[in-house]
Amino acid sequence: MKSFIKLENINLEFPVYEDSNRSFRNTIASTGKNLRFSSTKKNASGKKIIQGLKNINLDINYGDRVAVLGPNGAGKSTLLKLIAGIYNTTDGNTSIQGTITSMLDMGFGFEEDATGYENIIIMNTVMGNSPKKAEEKIKNILDFSELGDFIHMPLRTYSSGMRARLAFATAIEGSPDILLIDEFLGTGDHNFMVKSKAKIIEIMRNASILLFASHAIHLVEDLCNKGIFMKNGEIIFYGSYDEAYKIYIEDINEERKE
Amino acid sequence: MNFIKKNLALKDLFKEFSNYQTWFFLARFDLKLKYRRAFLGPWWVVLGMGLSAGILCLLWSTIFNLYWRDYLTYLFSGFIIWMYISSIIIEAPSIFSANKHLITSTNATPVFYVLRKCSLSLLLFLHHLPLIFIVIILVNPEIDLRVIFTFPLAIFIVFINAVFVTLSFGFLGARFRDVEPTVQSLMAPMFLLTPVLWKPEMLGESINLIYFNPFTYFVGILRNDITGMEFDAYLWIGSFAITFANIIIFLFIYSSKKNRLIFWL
Repeated sequence: MKSFIKLENINLEFPVYEDSNRSFRNTIASTGKNLRFSSTKKNASGKKIIQGLKNINLDINYGDRVAVLGPNGAGKSTLLKLIAGIYNTTDGNTSIQGTITSMLDMGFGFEEDATGYENIIIMNTVMGNSPKKAEEKIKNILDFSELGDFIHMPLRTYSSGMRARLAFATAIEGSPDILLIDEFLGTGDHNFMVKSKAKIIEIMRNASILLFASHAIHLVEDLCNKGIFMKNGEIIFYGSYDEAYKIYIEDINEERKE
Repeated sequence: MNFIKKNLALKDLFKEFSNYQTWFFLARFDLKLKYRRAFLGPWWVVLGMGLSAGILCLLWSTIFNLYWRDYLTYLFSGFIIWMYISSIIIEAPSIFSANKHLITSTNATPVFYVLRKCSLSLLLFLHHLPLIFIVIILVNPEIDLRVIFTFPLAIFIVFINAVFVTLSFGFLGARFRDVEPTVQSLMAPMFLLTPVLWKPEMLGESINLIYFNPFTYFVGILRNDITGMEFDAYLWIGSFAITFANIIIFLFIYSSKKNRLIFWL
């Protein structure tokens, strides 16, 4: 079955917890009274919220390589995390078909005292592979990361670029149907960037769907054939990459004028 | 089966329990890491534990004016068991904030992190067990053979409760920041209220008061049989009842709040 992502009327609200609201004692003490908040929106039950995603409708099909564009705080990461199954919707329907690999958070749970090698095993296990399967993957990951003998050193001795290599090599290994990338590239050196790009292109030959949120336009341009422009939690435009990019640039220029 | 599929809590529970190799592997790994930078490795922690338990025994057998042989096995095993149980409770509220990075970037269920943590605590406890057995064999080797059945069962019951308590407290601790310090400060008086330093019969007529303390049951089922104390059916019935209550509380909290957890971190 061909993979697809289908989102219908998605809303995602983030509850906001103020200091007083995070204390068990205060919550008990104020039960029954109406809590009053100074500003911002409240939902039906009177809780303070931020609207992360607003009325999202999205149909992504086999072969779509989608750039997710927009200013900071537009909801790009939230959208990817929703598709990755990390966030759950407040309301709306999601149906997703296909295995997902997500590269969303660079620093993800590395153990500082463990070696690079051990961290690869740990991360693979956390991502749901059996330890045995992780061992099978490790050769490819080692080759790709080019960390050499450093792979047997504790992670706290690594530079940020080396961490990025390790994280990227670990996350990218495999053959997903759907690949989600959120600003994942960028810290590695030039050669590694080129290599990473080549790897993504290679994976895209088999992976059917790519969602790529990034401000690194030169990367996005080469990889994507479609584009989403988001602002304030809403999808303003979804269509061809060139048009999405045009709208994105127009928006930037408008902001500048103001 | 349909009910299991529909209920969020049961679904996650079954998924992670059947996926036991992953979290058990990671727990063993955590254990290795814990000892890596220690000079004496695992033995340092074991020695430290033996030393504190030994000193406590010497001190309190004098204070209570008890025959040291009886008291030694009682307090030594009770203390090590207490350290195991209290470490579970103390670490429970921070379990999800400690795993914040992973929770916000992978889609492993909260149950996964709890199983990883609880099996690490269990492995640490198992490391300390030989100490207890050495003391028992040296001092007081009359043990009823029922231990062969009751002790593993007790370990299992305590583990199951550790998992559910950690999940419930973990959710509470993630939502309310003052749960962790509260729990920590309550554990010190709980130590004094649980029959570890003293024996229940020292309470005289008020002996039944010990049954109001949930820790009595779990310390009791782990300790009493291996130290050759009389079989107390109340302890077992009580621990089954508490286990049941823990599962109900867990189901309630988890089913309604699982999707909220990520916003609390």
